[in-house]
This record gives sequence, structure tokens and C-alpha cells, in this order.
Amino acid sequence: MIVNVSDPSLETHNLTVIYHRKPVLWNIDFHLPQGKIIGIMGPNGAGKSTLIKAVLGLVKVNSGHSKIFGQDLNDVRKRVSYIPQQQTVDWDFPATVMDVVLMGRYQKLGLFGRVTASDKAIVKEALGQVNMTAYADRQISQLSGGQRQRVFLARALAQQSDLYLLDEPFAGVDAGTEQSIVDVLRVMKSEGKTIIVVHHDLHTAREYFDWLVLLNASLVASGPIEQVFTDELLRATYSGKLTVLSQVGDQLRERNFPVREK
Amino acid sequence: MNTFSDFFFLREPNVVLVVAGSLILCGMAALVGCFTFLRKRALVGDAISHSVLPGVCLAFILTGEKDPLYFLAGAMVTGMLSLLIMEALTKNNTTRPDTAIALLLSVFFGIGIVLLTSIQHSGNASQAGLDKFLFGKAASITSEDIKLFGISSVIIAGSILLLIRGFYMISFDEDYAKAVGFPVRFLRLLLSVLTVWAVSIGIQAVGVVLMAALLITPALAARLWTDSIKVMLLLAVIFGLISGYTGAFVSYAAPAMPTGPWIVVMATAIAVISMLFAPGRGIIARWEVQRNNRNKTLRENILKLFYRIGEKTGEHGASVLEEDLVNYRAFHADELQSGLKQLEKSGLIKRVLSTYSLTKAGVFEAERIVRLHRLWELYLQKYLHLDPDHVHDDAEAIEHVITPEIEAQLSKILGNPKTDPHNTVIPKGHDIK
Repeated sequence: MIVNVSDPSLETHNLTVIYHRKPVLWNIDFHLPQGKIIGIMGPNGAGKSTLIKAVLGLVKVNSGHSKIFGQDLNDVRKRVSYIPQQQTVDWDFPATVMDVVLMGRYQKLGLFGRVTASDKAIVKEALGQVNMTAYADRQISQLSGGQRQRVFLARALAQQSDLYLLDEPFAGVDAGTEQSIVDVLRVMKSEGKTIIVVHHDLHTAREYFDWLVLLNASLVASGPIEQVFTDELLRATYSGKLTVLSQVGDQLRERNFPVREK
Repeated sequence: MNTFSDFFFLREPNVVLVVAGSLILCGMAALVGCFTFLRKRALVGDAISHSVLPGVCLAFILTGEKDPLYFLAGAMVTGMLSLLIMEALTKNNTTRPDTAIALLLSVFFGIGIVLLTSIQHSGNASQAGLDKFLFGKAASITSEDIKLFGISSVIIAGSILLLIRGFYMISFDEDYAKAVGFPVRFLRLLLSVLTVWAVSIGIQAVGVVLMAALLITPALAARLWTDSIKVMLLLAVIFGLISGYTGAFVSYAAPAMPTGPWIVVMATAIAVISMLFAPGRGIIARWEVQRNNRNKTLRENILKLFYRIGEKTGEHGASVLEEDLVNYRAFHADELQSGLKQLEKSGLIKRVLSTYSLTKAGVFEAERIVRLHRLWELYLQKYLHLDPDHVHDDAEAIEHVITPEIEAQLSKILGNPKTDPHNTVIPKGHDIK
């Protein structure tokens, strides 16, 4: 069940990523639509985060490639923003909420560009959108998990991109914050933005997403939620049907074989 | 004392060199050390410091001269080499970082000592003083050294100030920096080169063995005083300068003393002072908070007592003897005295001879606390299903931290209750204007 679209926001072609000689992503090939909220789901170790990182050039891609709005990453970087998993950074770092959100402007400013009043206005607006204005001068170590996630979202908003890649934005977040983040995502969608979310709560998938990608090392399905969110496809993703693939992966690693001949 | 004034007023030309040299070396180490510290690479800094020793020895063996430029070049080569090997080893998790660090530190240092020993026994008269690289000797800094240090410091400090945004980003969130298109690889490499550079000149002051302390200690101390990266960098440099100045003095006043340990002792003293006195994070600031909390608890407990006595007698403003207060609740005599004094000072109680009574504001405040206590008891009973005889102890502690917002919320979800689980009346709330 793989539905393709014309004029995609993100497309991958035979994307393959190998960690420690074991394939984490095998031949991922999909086209995602623009202006939708898209979920990427699959069991633990399915390669969800790796997929996002591969698209952003943060991990080495062993074969295949991806395009964003039909172009190479380096040509459209300014139209893409990334929200990493919260626990990947040190929250005891000497920075205020404002400092972190301001990082969202550095993409446009580069290493040397001066922060202007309009940058500050954009940052303030982003803080307002996630309801964190009152916390602008707070040291980031004083924030709760939900507030941290909202700060990360504000940083991405300050980038004013067209495609947003969120890695597990609802992990370690209270129910209230989750709802308010979803509300913000819907507003973004109404402005024509494309939002791709790595997620793992099946209960909320139908409610949150317009489009769903099911992943378990290989691509199981990609399509409109009502077509993909079916018992059969979920079973295929979450049950052990793909264990042959992982057994082959184990063989490659144990016997030190390359994944591609050449 | 004469020695000190000679030193302080830079009366001897040699002193100028020693002071200038130490200040530059320690300031630079503290500056780059901030990033070593923030990127949690303190041990890597230690490994680099030990790894520059073989480079210094090799430079001497190859050239037969004690030229500071050759020393710097040699130190940087082996320092960078050690760092690159470390990265290669830890890449792909083939070797754990702690293993790689311990291994490279001891291997490079070992080779350095072997080379140093063989130089010392080679009969080359000009080798005297090379062993000073172990613990540092600021007193032997020459004008040629100063030139090299000066140029180095301009480049190091200049690069850091120029690229501070990039270094800040890779220290906080490397993936994000990469995603927004910053040249992360270049920034990382440059930061490594600058660190090795600062270490390679810094060993003149403190020696390879103690160099890591000079990188990390000022940064650690500075972090305690501020949450701003720029202020932190500035403070770290100032702390580094103070340590360097003191070390230079010792080196001048007692030439037999190794400089490095003194610089490190001073830097450590600054760090200890920071741990004690820094606002917010310091030990004393935390004691202060605890003391304030204890006092608040004490005051509120005394007010509650007045209120309960008032409930019994039916008159809240009535005078109460100090002995009666003690009879109600086992206060420590000193504690009670101190609490009563605090309350009197803030106008919540009045004292006439040895009797006390609540003022109007006191009644108000007492009602508030009793109300919080009883609301919380009710909440525990209703929502946590605790028995009425189990709720009191919990409420004793919680009543002191409930904010007006939480109070309003509690009151609302409990339906503006009139009585608590023990069927005593909950005082009405007051609007806070």
C-alpha cells in the first residue's frame, strides 16, 4: 500500500542506511504530499528517527537519495526545520529560552549575521504561538519536559520554513502540552506548511495525521490515513512478519558482508 | 614584603615578562576551556595536555634548539595526532571513549617521558630546563616567548569571538547546527586546533600534568555565577588571569617552587569560593533558601496555633500567654521566641508584656494558612482516598507551598467546601488585591 503523489514535499528513492554493518533502513521509496500533517510510525528500532536524520544529512546514507520540494537538501535547507528529540541536548547549558529560540534565526543569519529587531520580533511571535512568552528569560534548566518541547517547537517556528521534521515531539510531555502542540501544528498546516512527525502512540494517530507512513526497517505503507490505518497494515508493521529481513541483517553483520556489492 | 612590592610594581624587567606570560597563558586556557567544559570533554582536555609532551621533546631532538616556535609546533603535532586517533577509535563505537582517553593519555605521556629521559642523559648541555614542561615554570619566560604567546592569544581569542555563535551552537545541539547548515565539521576541527594550541602554550605556565585543571577549573567556577555564555567566558578569563598572576608571583618570589601547582591551587580556591558563594547555585545560597523556608514554616505554624486557640475560645484577637502556646504544641523555646519576634516585626502579632495576640492582618494570614491546610486535607481524602486520620501530616507540609492559584483551583474542584475531613470549619478565603 504505497500511494505516491505528484509535486511531493519529501521523496526518497531507495534510501538505505546501515549502522554497525546492519541495515536500519532498507530501500525506502516514497513520495509525501505537501500541506499535510504526516505521521511516521513503527515499532522500536524501526528506523523512524534514522529516516529523518538521513533526509537531513545527519547520518550517512549508504545508497539511494532523498529530495525535498524536488531539490537537493543543500539547495532547500532554508525551507526545512528540524526538531530533534528533547533528550539529545544538555538542558543545563547556559542559555535562556530566548537564546534557544533565537537559534532558529541563525539559519538565515549564518555565522556572522547581526540579529535585527525583526529577528527578535519573529522570535517573540514564535514564543507567543507556543504560549511561552512569560518564560522568555528563564534558564532552560528550569523548564518542565512539556515546556522544553514547546521551546524546541518555537525554535523551529522561528525558522519560518515550509517543511518541519519533528522527532518524537510528544515524548516526555504531559497531555495538556501534547494537545497544545497539536493545535499549533494544525495552525501551521492551515498556513500551508508540511509537518512530518515521528510518533508512536497508535491511539492518537488517526486523530492527528492526514497521511501515515508505516515503517519497520523497510517501508510497509505510505498513504492517506484512512487507507493506511488498517488492521492488516498495522499488523504487518508491528508483528514479527519482517523477521526474515532482520535475520538477513544479522547475517550481514556477523559475517562481515557488505550490503551492496561494489 | 619587599619581594611583593617589587613584583607588584613590576620593578624588574624580568617580572614584566613573567607576569605578562602567565596572564596570557592562563587567560587563553580559561577561554577555550569553557567550550571543553560545556561540551563535556574535560577528560579529553587532560589527554591532549599529556599528549603534547612527546611533541616538545621531539622538537628538541630534531632541532637541538630550545626555540619556543619549534616547541609549539611539536606540541601541536602530537596533541592533534592524539585527538585524531581518539576520534578514529571512538567512531562507530568500536572503542568506548573512556578507554580511548585513558589509553592515549598514558601512551603519549609515557613516550614523552621516555624521550625526556633520553634527552637528559644525552649529555647535551642545552637540554637543561626541558623537564620544566612537566609542572611549568613561568619564571623562565623570555621576551621571545612573549611574542609567540601574544600572537597566539590574538589568534585564539579572535577566532573564538568571531565564531562564538558557531561554537555555541555545536556545543548545545550539534545535530541542529548541522541541520541549519552550519559548517559543523570545520567548527569542530577549528575548536580542537584552538584547544590544542592553548594547551601547547599553556604548558609553559602549568606544565602538561596540570594543564587540564587550568582548562576546566575557571570554566567550572564561572558557570556557577551566570547563565549567560558571554558572561561565563568573561568570568572564566578573569579567574584564569587571577590564577596566572598569583602563580607568577610564586614563581618570582620562590624560584625553586613549581609554578603550575600554585596556579592550580589558586584556580581551585576560586572554584571553591564560587561553590560556596555563587548566587542560586552556591551552597550558602541554598542554605539561605532552606533557612527562609524553615522560618516561613515556623511563622505559619505559630499563626495556626493562635488560630486554633482562638477557635476554642471563640475570639481570634485574644491575648495568649507564651506558656499556653508551648502547651499546645511542642515548640523548642528558642524557636518559638525567634518565630514570635519575626511575626511581631512583620506586624502580624502584638506583644504586651508576656502575652501575645494576633493583629487584624495576623488573623487574616492565620485564616489563610488554616484554610490551605484544611482544603488540602479534604483534597487528599476525596481524590487520593486517604483516611481522615492520615491526611494531617501531609497537609502540615503542603500548606506552606500552596499558591493562591492552586488554592483557587482546589476550592473550585472541591465545590467551595465549608468543613474539612475532621468536620471543622474551613475559614473563608479572602480576595487578594
